[in-house]
Amino acid sequence: MGKLRALGLRILELFRRQRAEDDFAAELESHIALHTEAGIRSGLTPEEARRQALIYLGGVEQTRQAYRERRRLPWIDSLLQDVRYGLRTLRKNPGFAITAVLTLALGIGACTAIFSMVNAVLLKSLPYGEPQRLVYLFTPNSSLPIPPDAFSPSYADFYDLKRESHSYASMSVFEQAAFPVALGGSVESVPAARVDEFFFQTLACAPELGRFIGTDDNQPGHDKVAVISHSLWRSMFAGSDDVLQRSLTLKGERYKIIGVMPPGFEYPTGYDLPDGSGATATHIWIPLALTPQKKAEREFGNGIAFARLRAGVSIREAQAEMSTIVARLNPLHRSDQLAQGGGLSALIKDFMDYAIAPVRPLMWLLFGAVSFVLLIASGNAASLMLARAADRTRELGMRVALGAGRWRIVRQLLTESLLIGLGAGVLGVGLAYLLLRTLPHLDPGNIPRLEQASLDSRVMVFTLCVSLLTSVLTGILPALAVSRVNLSDFLASGRSGSASDTQGRSQSILIVAEGALVVVLLTCAGLFLRSFAKVSSLETGFSPSTVTMNVGLDERYREPQQRRTFFQSLVARVGALHGIDAAGAIDWLPLTNSESMGFVWVDGYQNHADQMAEGRLVTPQYFRAMEIPLLAGRFFTEDDIDSPAPPVIVNERFAKIYLANRNPIGARISTDDTHTHWNTVVGVVADVRHFRLEETPQPQMYSPGYDFNHAYLAVRSRLPESIVAADIRGVVKSLDPGLARGDVSTMGSRKSEATAPRRFQTSLLTFFAAIAFLLALIGLYGLMAYSVSCRTRELGIRMALGAQRVDVTLLVLRKAAALLGLGLVTGLVCSWIAARAIKAFLFGVSEHDPATILLACGLLAVCGLIAALIPARRAASIDPMQALRAE
Amino acid sequence: MGDKTEVWQGTLALMVLRTLEMLGSMHGYGLARRIEQTSGDKLQLNYGTLYPALLKLEQEGFIRSRWGLSENNRRAKYYELTRAGQRQIKKAAAEWEQTTAILARFLNPAEEA
Repeated sequence: MGKLRALGLRILELFRRQRAEDDFAAELESHIALHTEAGIRSGLTPEEARRQALIYLGGVEQTRQAYRERRRLPWIDSLLQDVRYGLRTLRKNPGFAITAVLTLALGIGACTAIFSMVNAVLLKSLPYGEPQRLVYLFTPNSSLPIPPDAFSPSYADFYDLKRESHSYASMSVFEQAAFPVALGGSVESVPAARVDEFFFQTLACAPELGRFIGTDDNQPGHDKVAVISHSLWRSMFAGSDDVLQRSLTLKGERYKIIGVMPPGFEYPTGYDLPDGSGATATHIWIPLALTPQKKAEREFGNGIAFARLRAGVSIREAQAEMSTIVARLNPLHRSDQLAQGGGLSALIKDFMDYAIAPVRPLMWLLFGAVSFVLLIASGNAASLMLARAADRTRELGMRVALGAGRWRIVRQLLTESLLIGLGAGVLGVGLAYLLLRTLPHLDPGNIPRLEQASLDSRVMVFTLCVSLLTSVLTGILPALAVSRVNLSDFLASGRSGSASDTQGRSQSILIVAEGALVVVLLTCAGLFLRSFAKVSSLETGFSPSTVTMNVGLDERYREPQQRRTFFQSLVARVGALHGIDAAGAIDWLPLTNSESMGFVWVDGYQNHADQMAEGRLVTPQYFRAMEIPLLAGRFFTEDDIDSPAPPVIVNERFAKIYLANRNPIGARISTDDTHTHWNTVVGVVADVRHFRLEETPQPQMYSPGYDFNHAYLAVRSRLPESIVAADIRGVVKSLDPGLARGDVSTMGSRKSEATAPRRFQTSLLTFFAAIAFLLALIGLYGLMAYSVSCRTRELGIRMALGAQRVDVTLLVLRKAAALLGLGLVTGLVCSWIAARAIKAFLFGVSEHDPATILLACGLLAVCGLIAALIPARRAASIDPMQALRAE
Repeated sequence: MGDKTEVWQGTLALMVLRTLEMLGSMHGYGLARRIEQTSGDKLQLNYGTLYPALLKLEQEGFIRSRWGLSENNRRAKYYELTRAGQRQIKKAAAEWEQTTAILARFLNPAEEA
């Protein structure tokens, strides 16, 4: 207790200095006076008495020093002294201080910005309790060319699994939905989920207000209740307290609001879902309320199943259990075409992996890139400090001569680099803030929680650690170099020099290392840029200027005839508008994250049970509206739709695979499992990149029709997009004012959205590579300029002895070229190794692409030599007479 | 070196506390003289070392100080015990007695047998 109190007081003492000092001086004075008086009383002369008093005391200064050391904390005192001294020397040389701080701030700022992204995306916990125990359940059929996670269990399978499994603490199933909701004057389509009573319990989260959807709510007939998201509560009900007395009208039915979720809870979001599709955030949860018949459905439905593992149960154990259950269920799927071939198997996947795994490599790649930038910045700062330390040999040597310990000198220099590092850290945080401000403009839309990237306490601790680390990294080399100053050499020479040899070597090593890092970064950036160019120039198969809009019908359109009439008149009326060249519709537009695969059976082909093609329903004018080229045969006509056996149009790839070496026109295809109905191919169109830009097109098959629940309108026009959009909206509104407003965009912007992730990673990496490149050039320039200034005398003598200006220029350039060459070779080796790490990010270009690597090396070599040319020319302009006289 | 000063400081601290307990209140010079006298002039005290020790005790809250007037009207800083100081004397004295008792067993092992 007493010790703690003493420590506190001693720390406090650091802030008040003079009063206590004076107080003790007075106390000592009175001590001496008392002692002297006593001596006089015992018969000594006043002088002798005072002398005795001082001897007994053991010296006034010594006592004061001992007292001072006890009063305060001596090591903090000397630290403060170092800091004050450091600040003073830095202020005396502002050019050096500013350059070093700015250089490091660039590195630290970039690092901080990327770390705050990594923090938001990978490290921050999700708003679910113990998310590492959450898993998705699938029953995939591996013999089909469909991704395994497109197979969520059927309802009957799900309830059988639930009954027979022991691995889970809780299991839940839900479906995604969307409802038109009147928001701020217009009708918007709001993403929603139909959930069972275990949904919230499985995610282990608590409502902000009210309660969850319970068992009673999931009884058909009692299911008109809804839980809403925090942001919907804010936007729709202005965050009012009586929200639990209010209700929502969804598709004509009133749903009583029973709960509000906390902010941040918007599951299911597109990122968390197995197929990566769907809405980015869910705002309404209503009961799934399955009927007993629905629960017994063995065919695949729309349910998505997930579960919370019992504590201590591993995914592998759960998977083993599920496999035996699914094997038992397999015979029940005999009539299901999707379960043919090898049958269904069991698959359990980590829930978190869906939210994080796809972006994890990108995050670490960016983090790696900024670490390189930071290393290069540290290298530059270290090089600067080495140069400065050489200039200070005299001052430091003097201090050593006056008795300063080696450790004391190292500590002094480290304190200075710490000041620079911390200053750079503060500035870096500011830079990171600016970078984070621009982040939303770059958001590629596929990185979860990117908008949450912020400078929170964890990021701040990280930045502090990085600042300290870089301070030590940049400070230790010069500090050690200087502390090795040989005192006798120093005194003998009377000037600097002895340390500059090792310092020159250290600086050269730094430049070589920086060059190597830059080669790696430039190569990576180059490969990314080439991949991006490849993706951008891909043949998509459709025209970028086509305007598209989604139109979804609601429950009022129950009859097929109603839907057909609606879309027929919509397409006809839009097509008849002034300035519209063609208008069509399709059920699933390219690049809208949707896929529909169907089995195909081709007449006259060696058919297999599992051959599939992408199937699309289109209106006759769709191909013209999208400008999809016709390669053979004809497009659909209005008459095709009512024909008893509607014809089909296939794409080029379909024709190549299934209709090779014969005329595809007239071939017959069946899509039903008994092969009784046949459709005749009337046309072949070019391949369209439907699902993803970077995937080669699959066999595609188009059928004619107007019977959509939900469709995308495609319109070709010479008018500007905004006018076309307004026109289409007007037609939709005049047909049915109760329909939700669809999102309008051109195919070009859909393509640009699809390339956004690649653009994001490419622009960030290129940006960092450019910074690194610039820093390394500055470093090289600085080193050459410094070495020229150190060699002024030597160069002057050379010129006095007859060296030409060209020789001197070459002399300097040769040294720069040697350093660059070494850096390039090292960098080539490193980038060969690093290429493996970025292979997965590339498209259409080899990770060892020679052109890119050559270009990167060439760029560094040329720019490096240019940077060295400036000091080289300065060296050549040295006046020999002046250089010699300067000594 | 550290250990030795620690022991020495610990002893000096106890001497100061104990002396203050007897005298009530005293200035640094008086304390130094008194300690010397009490030790029967066997202890040669460097007066200067007394002040850091006094400061430490004050920082730890065992004594407090204030300026006052000496018997011949000279300004001097007087030290006196606090409650915590009185408790500390008991505690330190007990520890000290224990230490000397243990040490005594080593120095006079015959008595034990």
